[in-house]
Order: sequence, then structure tokens, then C-alpha cells
Amino acid sequence: MISENKKTLAARYGMSIDVDRCNGCGSCMVACAVENNVPPANANATDRTGLTWIRVFKVDNGLEGADRRSAFIPLLCQHCGHDAPCVSVCPQQAVDIDPATGVVGQMPERCLGCRYCMTACPYHARYFNWWDPAWPAGMEKTLNPDVAPRMRGVVEKCNFCHGRWHAAKAKTAAEGNTAIDPGDYMPACVEACPTGAIQFGDLNDSSSLVARNARRAESFRLLESIGTDPKIHYRSTKAWVRDTAHPPRPGKENARG
Amino acid sequence: MKFRGIIVFVAGVLVALGAGWAGFPRVIHQTRRQPVDFSHQIHADKAGSKCDDCHTFDAVGRFSGVPELEKCSGCHAALMGSTAEEKKFVDQYVTPNREPEWLVYARQPENVYFSHITHVKRGNLKCEKCHGDHGTSNHLRPYQEDRISGYSRDIWGTATRPAMTMDACVDCHRQSHLEHSCLDCHK
Amino acid sequence: MKQSRRNIFKFAGGAVAGAFFTPAPWRLITDTALWSESWPGIPRPVRGDVTAKFTNCGLCSAGCAIRARCVNGQPVSLAGLGGGLCPFGLTAHHLPFHPARLTQGPVEEATAAVKARGTAGLAILDLNPGRTASWTYRRAMASLKGSYLATADPVAYDLSSVRTVLSIGTPLLDGWGTPSKVFPARRNFRLIQAEALESRTAVMADQWIPLAPGTERIYAQQVLATLRGRDTSPVAAQLKANGPSVVIGDAPEVAEINRLLGAWGKSVVARAEAPAPDSWRKEAAPVTALDTLPEGSVRTLLIDESAAASYIPWDRIAPKLTADALVVTFAATKGGYVRHATYALPIAIYPEFMDDLGPAADSADPAWRISAPLVPPPAAVANLAEFAGALAGISASNTLRERAGAIHKAGLGTLTNYATGNETALKEVAAEDFWKVLSEGGAWQNVAAKRNPPEISTAPLVPAVVGAAPDLPLLAIREPAQPALVSPLMTKLYQESNLRLAPNRVALHPDEARAANLRDGARAILYTHAGRCAVQVTVDSAVPPGSVYVGSSPGIQDICSPAAHAKVVPA
Repeated sequence: MISENKKTLAARYGMSIDVDRCNGCGSCMVACAVENNVPPANANATDRTGLTWIRVFKVDNGLEGADRRSAFIPLLCQHCGHDAPCVSVCPQQAVDIDPATGVVGQMPERCLGCRYCMTACPYHARYFNWWDPAWPAGMEKTLNPDVAPRMRGVVEKCNFCHGRWHAAKAKTAAEGNTAIDPGDYMPACVEACPTGAIQFGDLNDSSSLVARNARRAESFRLLESIGTDPKIHYRSTKAWVRDTAHPPRPGKENARG
Repeated sequence: MKFRGIIVFVAGVLVALGAGWAGFPRVIHQTRRQPVDFSHQIHADKAGSKCDDCHTFDAVGRFSGVPELEKCSGCHAALMGSTAEEKKFVDQYVTPNREPEWLVYARQPENVYFSHITHVKRGNLKCEKCHGDHGTSNHLRPYQEDRISGYSRDIWGTATRPAMTMDACVDCHRQSHLEHSCLDCHK
Repeated sequence: MKQSRRNIFKFAGGAVAGAFFTPAPWRLITDTALWSESWPGIPRPVRGDVTAKFTNCGLCSAGCAIRARCVNGQPVSLAGLGGGLCPFGLTAHHLPFHPARLTQGPVEEATAAVKARGTAGLAILDLNPGRTASWTYRRAMASLKGSYLATADPVAYDLSSVRTVLSIGTPLLDGWGTPSKVFPARRNFRLIQAEALESRTAVMADQWIPLAPGTERIYAQQVLATLRGRDTSPVAAQLKANGPSVVIGDAPEVAEINRLLGAWGKSVVARAEAPAPDSWRKEAAPVTALDTLPEGSVRTLLIDESAAASYIPWDRIAPKLTADALVVTFAATKGGYVRHATYALPIAIYPEFMDDLGPAADSADPAWRISAPLVPPPAAVANLAEFAGALAGISASNTLRERAGAIHKAGLGTLTNYATGNETALKEVAAEDFWKVLSEGGAWQNVAAKRNPPEISTAPLVPAVVGAAPDLPLLAIREPAQPALVSPLMTKLYQESNLRLAPNRVALHPDEARAANLRDGARAILYTHAGRCAVQVTVDSAVPPGSVYVGSSPGIQDICSPAAHAKVVPA
């Protein structure tokens, strides 16, 4: 489905997440679920079978007692810019990278539920619908009309709130502009974060906040060595937090294959 | 003997062709009538309306689709013409303030995102490109609903395909090199 | 022609071949694909007019300013006007549909029963004091000679100008105040968090001082002693050197510490209430603390659980009741006092109710905000203000407007309109517009008001001791309080990830869990001196050994006070 005009990279959306400012409140996780019509947990769901397009993980420095220190790392689809593992393994072509935005898109309607992509994803950022989506009676009235609910048996994941991107694009067209005003397009987790730890913007625009933050010395990306060029940049002033981003074993053996 | 065998075979082919071309469309579609036989032509000629007078956009580019009763009642609070359909519309809908349940020929599945404003304003497409002569028609066509899928048989116009299928969208996008990703048109 | 099997097969073969030249099979393939997209039971989101409505969050007294995105008038998502929100506030538009919501109750029966009791031994327990409804309760109790029970925290903090904050066990960065106020202020002060567990606040603090569970008060006494000059400690030195400093905590010593630091009356002030009609003040019953009430003195207890700021364990309430006491609770959920009450009556909840917000802990200046309804309440809800008003013969249906009138008459402060973002001096606003803005999303604030130091508690400062209980080896650490009713989507945090401790869970260190023969997710019983409660276990190495981190469900709070001795055994 990717056409030949692949080179016209209009924007390369990405995030800069300040780990030092994350207090693990979980606002991003519920805001994401509200925005994207993700259903509440099935009674049997666990942390392995749940649906959380963005999930905040707690990491620690490995010490015991009073020396122990923790940090929270919000983990969502990293929107790999290069060799995204989920794209190449999909037998259904249900995953693609939008050359206009850099967003790795997942098409639940094409998905046959083989979960190859979940196995391939080095970040465990993809989630499978193990159960029929179900909302308590009446709560379906609160669903967001800009996002279609998914069915059981398909994989879904973060797409930088594509419903909001559509709305921003329509607004841009209505105003007669061609480029989206950065203020019009912001994923739900960014808007919801009470501490302002998550920033969102165009990495191609070198003056944008995300691009500037990505260039900072304390900025890092998860599993950078496997060469997938993720577009989620984290930053922390603590060295042990930055070290959690490395794969457990160094070297090329952790690359795909 | 061999010749007779071919006759049987050809008879089978003919029966299938007849059933497939003549019988099948009748069986698969159920015909539903629109609440009122609306004439786009009268509105275009007599009221001098353009498409986007009634099918409006708001400030952030959201398309109103089929206008709500409020819009119609603005002019049709009382009878303006002499047609039976208008009388029916005023008596049954405007006066009791009941929203008519229009059947939308171009209704798309839940997972489809379509933005009118980007096509009309950014892509400079004419309404007729997809909706054909809908805007100048004098009667509404019967709404032929597919019994299995639940969608209209066609969206009226001179679109490249009878119904507004994904292929029709993709054809056009491919020609204009605007085919980027699935999530352009899906939500 | 002879009917033979061969001919039938030939005819069928011809029909199949012919069918491929008709639209039927291709149409059927497409139709099946389209049909398979809409599974039964998968809801279709309603499309329609998208509008914005504004209100103030009514879940806690912080009262964040809210913009609700509505489709056909129904909110589909909430956002904070001044920045982000806590997860409870973000999902509050789901609450009217919560399965655990109390929706029915014997309103007439309860009314008749309360009337039949008469007014002797009547009391109202207000769990969210400082509202206009609280004034109605006090007026009703004054006229009926009953008691108005509330646990008002009289202190508010102004963090905007401090440079060092020592928080002793408070969830300062985790629901304590409005994010749009606390986090911008956070950039300017150094935060020292003294706490038994590395909480969400401790993670973001500049320094975390791990305390032994239950020793918060001892720590406060140490800080006080060093400030008085008996000892020296690095923390006290920081507080002195890097001022202005403020200490936040529940320990009674904190007031004295703040006085020594010079924060008393400056960044620690009495919570300021918005003006109220003089006639209300004249005829209001005094605020009575529950603990000062004689035992067995309450024959009729009316409880208001609306947006409860706290839950008082039932074993503190029960001794105050007579043996035949009638308890009527006005509750949003089936989980709270409903378990102990004679009658439970359903109430409107945020975002259905029309109620004002009490003064917030993070606001040193008087403010008044209304939580205006985003959706209509269900038909069969009761309202304690009107219930008590009817008993006392006071009209309670128009009190919010009377209060707005009193504020407008005083003519001080400014009015913020959320829809336009405009801030206007109250003097320039007509009374009718003032009410209109407040009830459609707005706030009144008076930053120029004089700040008063809070009253000093006269309770003697006794040395704190942590006792021992050989049969109950663990010390309880409590998760910060949360709203009584939370969205079903909070399962994302409680169940589909282990980000937050679910209300009915307890967390144990792996060593403790192993010793008690408990695995992650196991069902267990939590025992304390006060009783037992069925819980589920989370194994978490962040919990210090020798302690149990307990969730905030009313069932757990009934038996487990902070630093209570406890044990957890398999169910």
C-alpha cells in the first residue's frame, strides 16, 4: 500500500519524554484508552493480556533498601523509522509506515490475529484483543466517534491518536492552509500528562521542542543499538535510568534474526 | 450422446447467468423508500441553492452531511410550493418537529474516515466527481440496501464503481499519487 | 432426456462455470467481508455535533478546571484547562455508568423513618466540608439542635514562593492539589520527601528520606528538635539555609515546625472560604469533631458521602451511636457506609450534580467554583441538603445562588470565564452574568484577600512510639485516598498493568510473601486488631520488608489505620 512517493516525508512525528518528570500517575494510560475507545479490562485480563497502547513501567536501579531508587518509563509504540520489525513480518500488510507523518500504522480490519508483529516488536508495544470489547451498560455512549472500536482477535497499538490527526488535517484544509498548526495536533497522552513530561512534535523541524530535546546530552532512545531508529526520545539526568535503555546483552546478536 | 451432454452443461451455464444477472440483484437488495422524495433540482433552480448552502462545513472543517430538520424548517416553516411531497414533508416532519430518517446512499463503514473538506477544498474535487448528477436530480432514487452488508447498492453518481468501494477510493488516490498509508482513510 | 447422475453433475458444473460470469459470487465475497466487519455487540460510537462544555471537577476539593468534548451533548473526553489531570478526573465522565454505582434506594421509607425518630440525638456527618451544602447542614442542625460533624483540615499552603518543601508522608505530587498549580510551582522549590515507601511523590522528589513504617511522627519530632537547636540534621540545615521553607504533613508537630521556619501565616495559612450570607453565619451550628462527641449519643445519623474527601473508619463512628441508631447514608457507591447503614439513598455524582467545591489545600486565597452538571442526573436521586433542609424547614434549593449573590455583593476579586479565558474584576460583572459564568464553567478568586494564620492546635505534643504486636508482624502503609467511585477504565492501571495498587489489594515484599506462602495475585485475608478483610496480593520488591502496603478501599480502611499492625494469610 505504500506508494512510490515515499520520499515526500512531510513530517516525522515523535516524542520527547522526560523520565525525571514522570510520577507514574497513569493519566496518559487512561486518556489514551478514552481517546481510542479501548475497553475496560476483561475480568480475566492480566498485565500480560491487557490492552494498554501506552503503559507506564516502573524500573529501579537494582539496589536494595534505602539505596533503591525507582523511575517510571511510559512505553508506547516507538514508531520505528527504519526497518520497523512489525512491518516486515506482517503477512497481511496490515502494518505500514505513513511517509507523510512517519507514523507506524496498524490496520485492525486487515489483521488476521497471528501476532507475529507482537513477537517481532522489541518494545512489546503491541496488544492483542483476547476478548470481545465490552463496556458497562450505557458507557458506550461515551465512545469517541473519531476512532472505530476493534473486534476480538486483532492486534492494535498506538498510532499517535490518528483521529486527532484527521481532525487537525480537516481544520487545516478548512482554513486554507497546507501545513498542520502544531497546536492543533497533540495525542491524548501528551494533553493529559499533569506534569508535562511528554512533548510531541515534528522531529524534521529542527526548531521544534522535541527536536531540540532529542539533541540534548541526556536524551536517549530504547534499544538504540538494534538500529530501528525509534522516534520516541526519552531523557533523564540519572545515568542508571539511561542505562535501562540498553539491551541486556551487548552486540549484534540482539538485532533481528 | 456427447452433444447432448454439452446441451445439459450449456443449460446450466444459461440458468446460472440468468439467475446471477437478473435474479441475484433482486434477491440481495431490499428496496427502502426515502421518507420524502426530495428534489435537488427544484432547490437548485428555484431557491438558487448551491451544494454547500445546505451541506455545510463548520469552522474546523467538519461536514454536516444531510442537513438536519432545523435547516429545512428555516424555509419550509409553511408550504412554499404546491407539490404533494412538500406537503407531506411539512405535515409529517416540520410541523411535529420530527427528524426525517434519511437513508444515506454514501454511508460508509465505521472504520472509514472520509473528510469532505480535504477533498473539496484541498483536492479541488467537484461534488459530481463522486455524487454524479445527484445535485441536479428531480427525484430520489429508491434506496437499495444490500441484505448482507447493509450498505447502499450505489452512491448514485458517475463514480468509477457502482458503490463507493475502497477500490474506487484507491484508484483515484493512486492516479494522483496521494496514496500514503491505510490510516489516511481508516480510523 | 434421461435423468442421470452424469447429467445432473454436468448441469451443476455448467451452473458453477456460468456463475463466475455473473456478479453474484464477487458481490457475495465483498458482502461477507463487509458483514464480518460489524460483529454483534461491538458498539458504534454515536456521531453528531461536537461541542465543548466547561465545568470544575467535582471529585475532590482541588477542583481542576475542565473542558469536556461532547458529542450531541454527551461528554466523550475530558481535559484540564490549565494542563493535565489525574487519571480519576480524566475518566469521570464514565462514572454515571459505573456498575457499582448506587442507583436506587428507599427514599420515602427513609424520610418517614427519620421523621418518626424526631430530632433528639440527630447528627449529620459531612465528609466534604466547606461547601454551601455544609452551611445548609449547619443551619439545619442549629435549628434542630443536632450536631454537625466534620473533619475539616483548616490549613492551606501556598507553594508558589517557597524554595524548600519537606513533605512528611503526604502525596504532594499525586492528587494533593491541582496539577496546574502544583507542578508549575514545583519547578521553583526543592522537594524532600520523607516517607516509608518510594511513592509517586518520592520518585519525583529531589531527595527521598526512607522512614521506617509508622515513624512519620517520630521523624517530625526529630526535625522539630533540631530546629529548636538541640541537635543538627542535614534536613533541618537545608530548611533553614534554603528558605523560605515549608513542611507539609499530618503530624501535629508540623504546625510548630512551620512557625519556627517562619512559614506560619505566609505560605501556611488558614483555608479561606468564599463569602457566605451573614444570615447563614448567624444561625449555623458549630463544627463538631467526631471524637469529641459522647459515646452512645447519636440516635439518627445522616451521612453525606458526596465527593467524600476522606473515609472515617466505621469503628470510630459506631461507638457514638445508640444501640437502635438509625443510619441513613447518601452515597454514590455500594462500597462505603452503605455496608453499615440502615438506609442507603442514591445521590447525583460528578459530572451530574450541581454543587460547589470547598476550599482547596493548595489555594491560600479564597475561591469559589461550581461543579456544573455536564449530563442530567437520573430521576431517583436524593439530596441530603434538601432532605435536612426539609426537616428543619429551610429552603435549600437555591442556596448556591444565594451564595453567589453574597460573593457578588462583597464585590471583591475576579471572575474567570473558562469558555473565553477572560478574567474580569467582579465589580464590572452584573450579578446575573456572574451566576451565568459560574454555572457554565468559571471561577471566582480573590488573590488580594488578607491571609490569616491557621489556629494552632492546643493538643500537647507527646512523644510518639511504635508499639509491637507479636502476632501481627507487619506495619501497614496506606495508599493515598482516592475517590469512592472510579471509572471502569482504571482497570488499565489496577489490573492490566501494576502501575497503581487496586483499592482491594495489598502489596508485600517478596520475602514477606514467600514467608506467608502467598503468590502474586493470590487471594488472602488481611488481619489487624480491628478485624479482617478479604484482599488480593501484589508482590512488589519496592515495599519495605516488615510492612504491608494496603489499598484504599473502605473495607480495608475500616480495619487498617495507617501504621496499624497487620498480617496477611492465604485465604
